[in-house]
Amino acid sequence: MRKKTFAAAALLAAATLTLSACGSGDDGKSPVSVVSEESGSDKAVTILDQPFEKPDLVLTDTHGKKYDLRAQTKGRPTLVYFGYTHCPDVCPLTMNNIAVAKKALPKAEQDKLRVVFVTTDPARDTPAELGKWLNGIDPQFIGLTGDFATIQAGARSLGITIEPTKKDKNGKIVSVHGTQVFAFSPKTDGGYLLYGEDAKVDDYTKDLPEIIKGANP
Amino acid sequence: MRRPAVPAVALAGALALAGCGGSDSAAADLSVAASYMPQPVSADMAAGFLTITNEGGTKDELTSVTSDAAGEVTMHDTVNGAMEEVTSFPVPAHGRLVFKSGGNHLMFEKLKRKPRQGDTIALRLTFAKSGPLTVEMPVKSATYNPSTGH
Repeated sequence: MRKKTFAAAALLAAATLTLSACGSGDDGKSPVSVVSEESGSDKAVTILDQPFEKPDLVLTDTHGKKYDLRAQTKGRPTLVYFGYTHCPDVCPLTMNNIAVAKKALPKAEQDKLRVVFVTTDPARDTPAELGKWLNGIDPQFIGLTGDFATIQAGARSLGITIEPTKKDKNGKIVSVHGTQVFAFSPKTDGGYLLYGEDAKVDDYTKDLPEIIKGANP
Repeated sequence: MRRPAVPAVALAGALALAGCGGSDSAAADLSVAASYMPQPVSADMAAGFLTITNEGGTKDELTSVTSDAAGEVTMHDTVNGAMEEVTSFPVPAHGRLVFKSGGNHLMFEKLKRKPRQGDTIALRLTFAKSGPLTVEMPVKSATYNPSTGH
């Protein structure tokens, strides 16, 4: 047994040597082109001492009906995210992470949870477009669209800065998404938890049962 | 018990060094690893990620990505939640170009059909100096996380 351990250690040392000798390893010396780095071992969730008020957003849902966020999610565990459907990476990943975690909840709890996706690109994300996209992720998710200034003010009330969709210098359309998911308590309706972009399926799977109760994860 | 391990290390180290002799030449020496596409919501748009390693002593530049599976493939970086299209990415000498979720990504548009988990997407990467590389990019789950592998 012991011999095996030593053999493994020897192999590991050899592997390390191989990598450093080739200058291709993760030795921290190689120049690396990375835009954003993982924030390391930080927890995905931040518990807010001073909860945010739920944004006063009255918008249009994916069925084309008026949706009053405060009134219609009152007393419900609610997750809110600001994004757009022409977003290849972070927006679908964030919503899919929540969708997969939600499926681990008992049916009754799934029905209690409100997951609200507010578009930051209302010109392209019509109710129909938004509905089609969210149906591909979780048909229970709520999609809201409407006046950009209203959406921007709602995002700002949560400390999220979004800019209107614009064309870049190549004429490509560029939209901006938020980088956080807010969880609102069913007990207080306050936004008491904040999830960063690095929150994974497992983080939400672990925390959703607590959010359903309005408890701290 | 330690005795047999020492020559093993020495031998492996020597081999590794010998093996590297050829790769540390002046020219860029590129390879691709860790590629994946998270299963997209629809055929309209998908993201792709990979790492290009340059074991050579000269920098290179990724200048285009094409795929028969998509009408268009573009390269982007992400700055404060906004994507920016980039026409080329540097691949540093003895370094790496990393595409990863939340940062640089490939964007596939107008896909011929929605890629599903288990599919493979063939890509061709073109560089300023080195010859093109082909990549067989596996389609993973929509929530695939390369650091946990699921």
